[in-house]
Amino acid sequence: MTTLATPPQESEREEAPPAPPSQARRHVGRWILFGMMLCVAVIMLYPFWVMIITSLKSETQFLSGGGFSWLSWKTLTDNIPIFQEVLSSTIVCSASIFVILCVGLPAGFAFSKLRFRASTTIFLGLVSAMMVPLQAILMPEFVNVTKLGLTGGYFGAILVYAALGTPFSTFLFTTYFRGVPDELIEAGIVDGLGYVGVLGRLVVPIAVPAIATVTVLQFIQIWDDLLVGLLFIQNTSERPITVGLAVLAAGRTTSIPALMAGSLVSALPAMLVYLGFQRYLVKGLTMGIDR
Amino acid sequence: MAEIIFDGVTKIFGDDIRAVDDLSLAIAEGEFMVFVGPSGCGKTTALRMLAGLEDITSGSLSIGGRIVNNVLPKHRDVAMVFQNYALYPHMSVERNIGFALKIRGDSKDEIKRKVDEAATILHLNDFLDRRPKALSGGQRQRVAMGRAIVRNPQAFLMDEPLSNLDAKLRVEMRLEIARIQRLLGVATVYVTHDQVEAMTMGDRVAVMREGKLQQVDTPQDLYDRPANEFVAGFMGSPPMNLIRCHASAGNDRVAVHFGHQVIELPWNYTSSHALPESGLEVVVGVRPEDVLIVDGASTNTLETRVERREALGAEILVHLSLLDTTTSSTSDGELSRPVSLVAKMGPRTKVSVGDILYVQLSPEHAHFFDATNGDSLRTRP
Amino acid sequence: MSVITATTKQNAGPWMTLRRRRQFAGFLFTLPALALVIGFIGIPIGQAIYYSFTSWNGLTSQWIGPSTWSQAFHNSNLWTALQNNALLLLSVPFALGLPLCIAVLLHQRVAGWKVFRSIYFMPTAISWVVLGLVAERFFAYQGTLNSIIHFFGFSHTNTNMLGYESTALSALGITFVFTMIGTNTMLFLTGLATLDPTLEEAARIDGAGRWRIFRSITLPHLSRFIQLAFVMTVIALFSALFSLIFVMTGGGPGYATTTMEFLIYQTGFNQGDFGTAALYGIILFVLTAIVGIVQLRLIGSDE
Repeated sequence: MTTLATPPQESEREEAPPAPPSQARRHVGRWILFGMMLCVAVIMLYPFWVMIITSLKSETQFLSGGGFSWLSWKTLTDNIPIFQEVLSSTIVCSASIFVILCVGLPAGFAFSKLRFRASTTIFLGLVSAMMVPLQAILMPEFVNVTKLGLTGGYFGAILVYAALGTPFSTFLFTTYFRGVPDELIEAGIVDGLGYVGVLGRLVVPIAVPAIATVTVLQFIQIWDDLLVGLLFIQNTSERPITVGLAVLAAGRTTSIPALMAGSLVSALPAMLVYLGFQRYLVKGLTMGIDR
Repeated sequence: MAEIIFDGVTKIFGDDIRAVDDLSLAIAEGEFMVFVGPSGCGKTTALRMLAGLEDITSGSLSIGGRIVNNVLPKHRDVAMVFQNYALYPHMSVERNIGFALKIRGDSKDEIKRKVDEAATILHLNDFLDRRPKALSGGQRQRVAMGRAIVRNPQAFLMDEPLSNLDAKLRVEMRLEIARIQRLLGVATVYVTHDQVEAMTMGDRVAVMREGKLQQVDTPQDLYDRPANEFVAGFMGSPPMNLIRCHASAGNDRVAVHFGHQVIELPWNYTSSHALPESGLEVVVGVRPEDVLIVDGASTNTLETRVERREALGAEILVHLSLLDTTTSSTSDGELSRPVSLVAKMGPRTKVSVGDILYVQLSPEHAHFFDATNGDSLRTRP
Repeated sequence: MSVITATTKQNAGPWMTLRRRRQFAGFLFTLPALALVIGFIGIPIGQAIYYSFTSWNGLTSQWIGPSTWSQAFHNSNLWTALQNNALLLLSVPFALGLPLCIAVLLHQRVAGWKVFRSIYFMPTAISWVVLGLVAERFFAYQGTLNSIIHFFGFSHTNTNMLGYESTALSALGITFVFTMIGTNTMLFLTGLATLDPTLEEAARIDGAGRWRIFRSITLPHLSRFIQLAFVMTVIALFSALFSLIFVMTGGGPGYATTTMEFLIYQTGFNQGDFGTAALYGIILFVLTAIVGIVQLRLIGSDE
């Protein structure tokens, strides 16, 4: 018992000298807290555990319950066209984000620094579009995009994703640029830039943190989405990974270990982006409320 | 390098907020012109119109003989130093300074040479690779200056460039900016609310208030011959004593009534002012250094009591109240509060609170202003 | 005044003043975003309203009129879906309460809390498609839930929550709560980080206990974050469950897990009744708009 209690005592002393009378009680409290946090961690890690464990079984082993096998990983590409689907996801994701940045940055700059008549009204209108769920306009959207002949390749999905992501991104950029002093823009103008020059040579470089936030948020959003990819990309050979997995799962004919292996592969890029850029994600989520 | 002429320049914000009202002013080649005034007086708006950041509502503005009302900022060939420096955070000092040249399309070697030259003038050579974030306040200020001087423009525009620095650095940079301006000989418009900066830096100073130009003159002339009560009170620290009183001229003397107390000033000293024969209400202005303590009462002394004493080291500021004015009432009851005066005295003057002192207002340095519109009653310089 | 206007006009110069140039540039810069959003969100809203009054199969439409609406409201599927949405709202307190507890736990800064934080947020990065697949494993007959039940000694009890109309919606709700934990914890933790620690100290000096401090200082400070989390959670509930439902239940058994958004998809793409699907879309739009207005108030309140 004493040996167990020693290490945290030392670490605690480094931070702040503990108050003698309640030291023992605080100790117990800390251990209880630690235990609770560990429990939550187990729950939050559960999906990864399921994916890993299940994917390391053959289909028969999965049905019988025991065993270990690399089979589903070896035959992954036979069951799921994983490379092609990851490629599709990547293309759709990056193109959509590119469009969102191209339209969102100038708009955010204009709404915050180049106010014009009715710009506030237009801004509010644009931002409130972020409340419109795609499902509410799904039917006309689908028919429009189909009629425009955009469901053949990636274009339809890219434009729909871009349109859905633009309102929030514009809002985020506008809020960000409001924090940039006007003088910086004016300095550029006096130095001889036009408004396009200011946008390209000052606004974009200054907005790098906001660009990172938008990119991370949209990447996770688009990479993880199902509905748009399901409806607006008609060719099965151009399916993104989530659509591939969902369709296989809904068909209920694919082996579950293979499905789990595919899930793990699909989760990996978003996880990496997420772990690498966590702070941008947090910043983006609380934008507009956290000041 | 060129002359800058404001001709009836007016700026109206919204429907009826006159930020700058009928400003007419000429700034000569190579001149250091300071715009000074309290916040909201229109000095910054005037500067921004010159920079091309604000439209001119009416009137005309010319730089080097060219009317620039509708000329884009980039074609005006002026450089501006902003209050918060507005350094581009994503560029090194070198790129910050050279940015305008790059936009202009100068060659790489040319930019390098000019940036080095500017950096030498500003002692920035060791910092060229740093980002603005890694610089101290004074260094940032220098970079902002560098960005302006590297362009060799027709005019420098500076908007309170020293107000973000601490007091010591401000004094240093004051001299530095003045030195560089003389060195380069470029017409400069410098906006500040600090009258000390205005006095020490400007070849001439334009005092503004509520959008209107009050007076343009050399610092010394502003100090010695303020055109109105506002300028008199604004320039100089501690400010000029401005006291409402009755003055009547006659018999070679001017009698000035402060309630019951009267002083008589010799006519020859006050003849520079158009003082009325019959008693008229005026404002008399006396600078603290012109309030003199004398030994005994006479016809031109005031009896005062010491209310407060501020020792500043090199001098002592003594706050005096005029005795016998509280109960007195002039015809229109103006003097209901005790009249107070500030006197600047030598560091070794022995005064303490409660002392009764007899003071004299140095007659050759007394100023008289119209009590209704504040204009100076001075008739000859 | 008339003199002023006269001189103003006289000296106005060319039409393109500096201010107009700035405004024109501003307008041009917003155009691409506007075009995209109007084209892909604005116009479809109008179309959806129009088509809700028609019989429409995606190719040809025929004007019917208001009777489409009265017909729709007589459709029991619509009411089932609305009821499902309403029942799922019961999960919102859990989707807020659990993250609040977790955030407070993390905020105690126990050794290693940063690692725990990363772990807690990790599922946020995963697609709800994948989480749905995992949840299916959890609730399945041979899944983890039954293993847990067996572990606690009820070896003859077996559940199959997704298989029965009575329990499928609960399983969906539980999964939804799990998926929202990461995001909401993140929000609350940010909120806690902005809490001025001297406030708590002052309260402690005033003799307030832990619970008292939490109720009187921490919670009021978090209220804006809780409101935001509430709105985001409700909106997700109305419009982001598609992936989960598609993977886990396909809306079934029967219509037991068919929510509004899934009903729209089914009506449109499984039954080919585009007109009614558009009509359902309008209903969903109105529902989220109500929540959305609350959020706009929230965001706009400090502008």
